[in-house]
Amino acid sequence: MSVDPDVIRKCMWPVCLMGLFVTGILSLDCNLLNVHLRRVTWHNLSLLSRMSKSFPIECLRESKAFELPQEILSDTQPLTRDIKEAFYEMSRQAFHIFIQDTFKSTWEEKHLRQVQIGLDQQLQYLEQCLEEEEEENEDMREMAEDEWTQSGAPVPQLSNLELRRYFNRIDRFLKDKKYSHCAWEIVRVEIRRCFYFFHKFTALLRRK
Amino acid sequence: MLLSQNVSAVGPLNLYPMDFSDESCTLKMTLRNLQSILSWELKNHSIVPTHYTLWYTIMSKQEDMKLVVDCTNITRSFCDLTDVWVNMTEMYIPKVVGYRGNAALVSCMGSFFLTTDTLPLDPPEFEIVGFTDHISVNVKFQSVAPKILNEEELQFYLALIEEQSGGTVKKHKPQINGNITENFSYVIDKLIPKTNYCVSVYFEPKDPRKINRSPLKCTVFQPGWESESSESATIGGIITLFLIAAVIISTVMMLKRIGYICLRNDFPKVLNFYKLSVLVFPELPRLEEVATVEVIHINRKKKVWNYNYDDESDSDNEAAPRISAGGYTTHGLTGRLCPASVSSATLEDCSDPAAEEGDLPEPEADAEALTAPGPRPWQSECTSRGYQGRGNLLQDPFSEEDSSSTEGSGDRIVFNVDLNSVCVRALEDNDDSEVTPMLPSRPEETVVLEDPDETESNLLVASGEGTQLPFPGPSAECPWPEDAPSDKSDTSESDVDMRDGYVMR
Repeated sequence: MSVDPDVIRKCMWPVCLMGLFVTGILSLDCNLLNVHLRRVTWHNLSLLSRMSKSFPIECLRESKAFELPQEILSDTQPLTRDIKEAFYEMSRQAFHIFIQDTFKSTWEEKHLRQVQIGLDQQLQYLEQCLEEEEEENEDMREMAEDEWTQSGAPVPQLSNLELRRYFNRIDRFLKDKKYSHCAWEIVRVEIRRCFYFFHKFTALLRRK
Repeated sequence: MLLSQNVSAVGPLNLYPMDFSDESCTLKMTLRNLQSILSWELKNHSIVPTHYTLWYTIMSKQEDMKLVVDCTNITRSFCDLTDVWVNMTEMYIPKVVGYRGNAALVSCMGSFFLTTDTLPLDPPEFEIVGFTDHISVNVKFQSVAPKILNEEELQFYLALIEEQSGGTVKKHKPQINGNITENFSYVIDKLIPKTNYCVSVYFEPKDPRKINRSPLKCTVFQPGWESESSESATIGGIITLFLIAAVIISTVMMLKRIGYICLRNDFPKVLNFYKLSVLVFPELPRLEEVATVEVIHINRKKKVWNYNYDDESDSDNEAAPRISAGGYTTHGLTGRLCPASVSSATLEDCSDPAAEEGDLPEPEADAEALTAPGPRPWQSECTSRGYQGRGNLLQDPFSEEDSSSTEGSGDRIVFNVDLNSVCVRALEDNDDSEVTPMLPSRPEETVVLEDPDETESNLLVASGEGTQLPFPGPSAECPWPEDAPSDKSDTSESDVDMRDGYVMR
């Protein structure tokens, strides 16, 4: 099928403009990242609460302290980018846990899928905004890193390391408990708590 | 054992080998007056403990149950945990044990994640007072600020419900400075007099949660403000009327401008009949100069050209039609056509028996002719040509019944003609002497012709009286054939002009 070159020329500009227009609309406005994160995080938190009617008291005996690293976002004055990276790491790790197929009998399938979709949305938001910020402020970031290193302050990536350790403990708990019903209930409660912790810190993104 | 202000730790959970099932009672966590209240209700109403004791623990750490001191051996079925459960990120596990004496009758546990498992925040207490110009809403908050509440997470709303206008709800968002601890008053003004207003207050968290609205409290807005309200209403009414009038005027102007209404009649002055002089002294219409004209209508049969080029065609008796280059046949208009196409003309000449001979029309024929000598020339021409056609193969394009015309058997139409409205011209040839129209010696006199029979006499009269008909020169505007009747021997076809035969003045 041959296409008339004239038609292509006539349609090229409108198509390009339309594509840019649509892309602009569909793309996330990273200036409103805090709003999106707050909304998506709260939505995931609500989903985790609805996945189970109530915590089975009999599982209380198997509870464990996973030691959520609350200090990464509380005492110091973290940079906006650090908060975003922490969000991204948390979302990625949580998504990795809930993407497993070992809890089909524990919760309803639809709730689990909704949680997975919510986490995926959160990851997409953060990936896009982090890439944009990295392209725009690459030089400034390098300078900031140099300053941080010279002043002796901890490197911002330490928060991500703590988060990875935190989720690693959760993952190991599940494996040790052999993905039992109580283990999953305990993990559900813990990750919900983590979500709420990060939900509070979306306010920091807004202030900055 | 860790002791807090209101909580004392107890031993491991197995000291109380109770049924950990929470089906024996229902636990609810509410925020009443900005206070965290844990309440419980036994499902089995037959069991009635005399007092209760409350313990709790948290999920994030493996700790023993902690006793809430303020809720030990209480008879009420609720406990204020405002200062105990302060961490919103924690999941609290309460346990309530009901006693009768020293025997534990029932025990129930639950889990509460305060962020999601708490019932909607109860609205605060408030009062409304109606004044002459406003309504004042006085809200009473608790003096003790709950630690779990945060100004950023809660927004206080004041819903104003106007019942008279069908339940229109207007939300007010009072700005609360500082913590939600002190009482404050909110003024609602700009109200409609003699209207019943109801107010409801509630807290709404920023995150989507359920909202618990307070009961409505209503008051009638007193008409003490009626004067100012009426003034404002009057001003509003005037402005509204002004706007309506402006819209109407602009619409009318637009319609007038585009010509949809009030069409302009730019008549010439001569057509201006609305003169006072005309109205007062109306001018009588001029008498028309009338002449009697008899029109003989001749039905012509349309000649159908059969494109037969045979020699036996009937063209012998007919004028050979001229064949143009395009193969079309043209037929010349006869003199009959001239008068036929003119209202004032006559075909009488054509039907004049005297013209059968094809001779020049006699004065008698002319007398039978239309009117003044003016028309005579062409009438004679018409006559002659008509019979020329007969004799010279002049084809009458409308009819083959020349004889019928000569016999004068056609319809006759008699009507009056204003000679001033017709135009005649004299022939240029020798026959002009016979057909020379009489010059109007008395231009003011009119020629009146009545019956064809009287044409002669009338003609004489006309000739004596002259005519007002202008005598156009050879270069008359009248599109009559210029050839004289003496040219009748010629092929009239070539001389016949395709003229419409209208008489022009």
